[in-house]
This record gives sequence, structure tokens and C-alpha cells, in this order.
Amino acid sequence: MDPLLVTQALNVLYEVVTLAVIVLGLAIVFGLLGVMNLAHGEFIALGAYVAYVCQSHGLPYLAAVPAAIAACALLALPVERFLIRPLYDRPFDTLLATWGLSLFMRKAIEIGFGGGYKSLKIPVSDSVLVLGTPFPAYRLLLMALCAALIAALLLWYRRSVAGARVKAMVGNRELAQAVGIRTDRLARDTFVVGLCFAGLAGVMVAPLVSVQPYMGLDYVLRSFFVLVVGGLGSPLGLLSGAAAIGGVESAMSALVDRTAGYSTVLLIAIFFLWRRPHGIFGRS
Amino acid sequence: MTTSLARRKFLIASAAGTALIGAPAFIRNASAAKDFKIGMFYAIAGPAANLFGPTQKACAELAVEQINARGGILGRRVQLLFANGDAAVADATKSAVRMLLEDKVDFFLGSHNSAVREALVATIKARVPYVYTPIYEGGECSPNTYVIADTPRQQMETVLPWLHKKAGYKSVYLIGNDYVWPQVTNKYAKGIFKKLGVSVLGEEYVPLGAPNKFEEAVTRIKGAGPGLVLITLVGGDNVNFNRTFAGFGLDKNILRVSSLLEENTLLGIGAESSNGLYGCMSYYSSVDTPAHRAFKTAYRKKYGDKAPILGLIGVDTYAGVKFVEAVVTKAKANAAAKVKSAANGITFASATGTMTMRNRHVDKDMYLAECKGTEFQIVETFSNVKSGQTCA
Repeated sequence: MDPLLVTQALNVLYEVVTLAVIVLGLAIVFGLLGVMNLAHGEFIALGAYVAYVCQSHGLPYLAAVPAAIAACALLALPVERFLIRPLYDRPFDTLLATWGLSLFMRKAIEIGFGGGYKSLKIPVSDSVLVLGTPFPAYRLLLMALCAALIAALLLWYRRSVAGARVKAMVGNRELAQAVGIRTDRLARDTFVVGLCFAGLAGVMVAPLVSVQPYMGLDYVLRSFFVLVVGGLGSPLGLLSGAAAIGGVESAMSALVDRTAGYSTVLLIAIFFLWRRPHGIFGRS
Repeated sequence: MTTSLARRKFLIASAAGTALIGAPAFIRNASAAKDFKIGMFYAIAGPAANLFGPTQKACAELAVEQINARGGILGRRVQLLFANGDAAVADATKSAVRMLLEDKVDFFLGSHNSAVREALVATIKARVPYVYTPIYEGGECSPNTYVIADTPRQQMETVLPWLHKKAGYKSVYLIGNDYVWPQVTNKYAKGIFKKLGVSVLGEEYVPLGAPNKFEEAVTRIKGAGPGLVLITLVGGDNVNFNRTFAGFGLDKNILRVSSLLEENTLLGIGAESSNGLYGCMSYYSSVDTPAHRAFKTAYRKKYGDKAPILGLIGVDTYAGVKFVEAVVTKAKANAAAKVKSAANGITFASATGTMTMRNRHVDKDMYLAECKGTEFQIVETFSNVKSGQTCA
């Protein structure tokens, strides 16, 4: 097999799987709670900066995982209580509120760490032969981790009692309350879990990208595109959206160039907003 | 008698009173007229603001402090007025109009992109002299406009032949952001490659300001297998490209030249990804000259440990302010014709030494740097390299 073709195919796969993990947190917060979290990218950045702090203190890279989850949860709790809770069922207001939060977080990161770039050492720097072609080991590992994470979450959502409660709350909040589900607590936990996933995604991609206070902006728009195309509230929607946006963009970039990749993604997003506003697998 | 005396006293008193009330305003006006005002555009808010803004401001203010300590320009205290140069063209234009009409600035100094420069040139209409400082593509010859910037000739005519002699690369791949500076730089570089007999295997551009990823481009480059990659990406794209490039192991046998590789960008690229990476600019913070040691001492003294990181785009505002001082002192005015004749051949201080202006551009020393980890090691100095610009 043509080694370049293998590499480009892996690139497409890499883009799809990492994009799915980047969007995961937003899919939870926006898809299940209806909160248009514009600060999603900043929680990714928070995860990346926690990873940077851990690495610069000589800790093993895995230490960044619990640290980032703790940092995101600590911030997400008061944000949910004081900013989001009064605004459930008012999606547009959550958009404004989280936009303000994102500005605040960017500036706070800038004050704490300065405006410049930080670079993180890649935890696994070797290459692995895939069908005879070398491919960076960390990227392969990342793909495997992302796939495992998504599969685990899917399974949990489908099989666990907590997942059933979330589905009940999303389906009909009053009815869920009537059968004894404490929806305010459940919504809080869902929100916090969503933001922790964003931080986790930040830890995962940090060694591969430029870590700087404004990095969140790189992710938030594409994340919304994925949800527009895939549809809200279903794991299949998340995967198909990531495949459509990430896969098409990467494939077009490989076949033509980046500009072609962007224009195709925009066309796809416009088409879905126009003809299928609920996405491929969305609830109508 | 008493009444007339009283009336005279009253007149004197009221006259004195009027004079006293008027005095502060009069003095205020006089001192305001005395200040030499430089209207400075730099990256206050926008995509380049967190990278370059603090250094641009700090270096310009250091130059002003030094000039004022020696008595200012033509005996007038120098004052910097700031506007955002990283803004939309329309906003920058508005700021320029305000500085022209309300603040009545004596000189403009700009460190921003070429789109804003063209708008400012069109707004200022040569009424006030304007000095443009950051690295750019060349070609600015508008009246009453002066350029400190590194030009494509100064960057490319030095590093490309030098590296060809040293490493003997036979083919090259070009990648840059899609706007005027990378395209003009690449056009100039392709002329050099032709003379050297180096074949161009590919040339591609990615959108500016988009969250670009480079896996596909790096794979393409791997397939093309050039001896050298010429990178005209800026900021975060430059970081991401080089990290991906090294992540895929291409740094082991392909050399890289990056046209805008300053200290912040190299910190982002990181020590693991900077092997075989070169740059050629008129400033690196590791340049070792007596003037630069003095500059860095003064900079640390003024800003302490929290000083913004030094880099080309930032320190060129220092040279810009020093140029304003030199040229206005020599011309004894800021009138266009006088400044123009004074500017040709004038020598002024930069962060690392001196620069000489000819044809409204600067001939300068260029430094060729090889990345060692996150440090620039100067491997060659090219003295007094011509800008290649010939403005009448």
C-alpha cells in the first residue's frame, strides 16, 4: 500500500477521533442541558495549562489527568450554581453568560501565565510502524484513548441507572422530578462532568498544539459545527458530526489544501442549518 | 481721589487676577505645544496583541525615556500617544484622524500589518512623517513614509545561499500563510532558488487566522522529500507546523528556514521540535554586541524580571523612536522636505548597534541563527545588508 496514503488515512482518522473527544464536553453540556457553553474552549485551555504546570514541575504526564479534572470541577461548580442555574431553559442567555465567562478566563490565564506560547514535551516521542509506515506513537495512543473514552461514555449512558436518570431529565424535567429524581443536582453533575471532559481533552491535545491563552477559540466554533451537523443529545450524532466535519476537512486538506477543507466544512454546516436543522441524528 | 485710587487698585487687582487665572491655561498650552508627540500604532488588542504588544510598547517607552533624559527632541519633551494597530482598518483610520486633527502629532510610528499601513498612508496623506517598523514584504515608497523593517532581500539573500553552500540542498518546499508578505517573500526566494539551481517541489498557503492543522501538509512534504522547507507561517501556525513537522520525524533529514521566527514562537515550538531550524533577521535576543548588552541592561533596569520577552517586532519600535529623534534633530523640523533630505544616509541607534537609512529603507546587519533548543545561536553575521528597496 502507498505509505503516504496510509499516513493520510491515519491523519483523517486522527482528526475525527480527537475532534469527537474535543466536542464531547460540549455535547454533554449543550446537548443534554441546552447550555450553549461558549467557554467550552477555555476549559480545554484550562486543561492544557494544568498539564503545562504539571509537566514544568516534573510530574509524570498522567498526573495532569486528575489535576485537570479537579481544576475544571472546582471552577465548574460555582459557575453552575451562580451563572448557569438561573438560566436553564434560556439558551440564548446562557450563550451571553458563558461568552462573558470565556473572556474572563482568557484574561485570567493571560495574567497568570503571560500571553506567550508554552510548549509541552510529547509524553511518548517514538514512531510506530503502521502497515510499514512510521506514524507518531503519541498520536496513535491518543486515538486509542479517545476511542476508549467515547466507547466507555456511550456504554455508561446507555446502561447505567445514572444515564437513565439523565435521559429522563432531558426528556421531561417535571416528570423526572415527579418520580423522585433530583434534577437540580443531576443537572449540576452533568454540567460539571461535561466541563471535566473539556479539560481532559485539553490535557490530551496540549502536547501537539500551541498552548496560549487564546487557544480555546480554535476549538469552540468547530465544536458547534460538529453538533449542528451531528445533532444534539445523541452519541451517534456526536460521532457522525465529528466524522463529517473533521473527516471531510482532513480529507479535503489532504486532497487539495486547507482552504478547500474550510470551505467544504462551511458548506456542510450551512447545508445542515438550512435543510436539516436537527442534524443527522438529532432529536426533533 | 480715594474712589479713583480705589478704582485703579481694583483694575490692577482684576488684571492681575485675570492673569493668574489665565496663567495655568497659558502654561498648559505652551507646554503642550512644546511636547513632541509621536502617534504610535501597535498591537494593543487583537490576534498579535498578546505576542508582540507588551514588547512593542516597552521598547518604544525605553527609547523615549532615554531621549527625554538628554533633553528631548529639539528641546521638546517627547510624548507617546497610543492607538491600536492590530485593529480593523476602519478603526485604525479613525485613530489616525483623531491623532492628526485633535492631538496634532508630530510624527507617526507604526508596528502593524501591511493592510493597516496602507490605510494609514492614505489617511495621513504625507501631512506628517510616518515611520513603519515591523518586518514586511517591501515596496512601500509613499511620500513622507520611512521604513525600518527587514525586507525579503535582507532575509533571503543571506540565509538561502549560505545554507546552500553549507548543506547543499537541491530541492525546496514552500509553505506559508495566505497573504501578501509570505507570497512576496516566496517570490523573491524563488528567484534565488533559480540562480542556485534548486528545484521547487511544492508551494502551498493556509488561511491566516484560522485554527490550522498541519498533519496533511507535513505528510505531503514527506512525500515530496525536499532538502529544505521555507516557512512563511506566522504565530500559532508557525508553532503548530513545526511541532507537527518534528512529531512526524521530518526534522531528522529536512532543514527548515522560518522567516518570522522570534523568541516567543521558538518557545512555543519547543526544544524537541527545533532541530535543523534556521532563521535570518536583524534581531535575536542572543545577539552579542556591546550596544545590545547596554540595551538589555537598560531594559532590565526599567522593567525588572517581569519585562516582556525581547524579539524583533518589539525592539524595532526602539529603532523607530531613535530614528525619529535622529532625523528631526538633523532636519531641525518635521516638515516633509526637510525630513526627507535629512533621512537619506542618516545613522541611528537600534537595540543591537546602529542602522543606516537609504532610499527610505534601512541597510542593516543581519544575523543568521540556528535553533539550539529554545535558544537562537548566531552562526553568521552579515554586515550592512542592503534593503533592496529603492524609493526615490
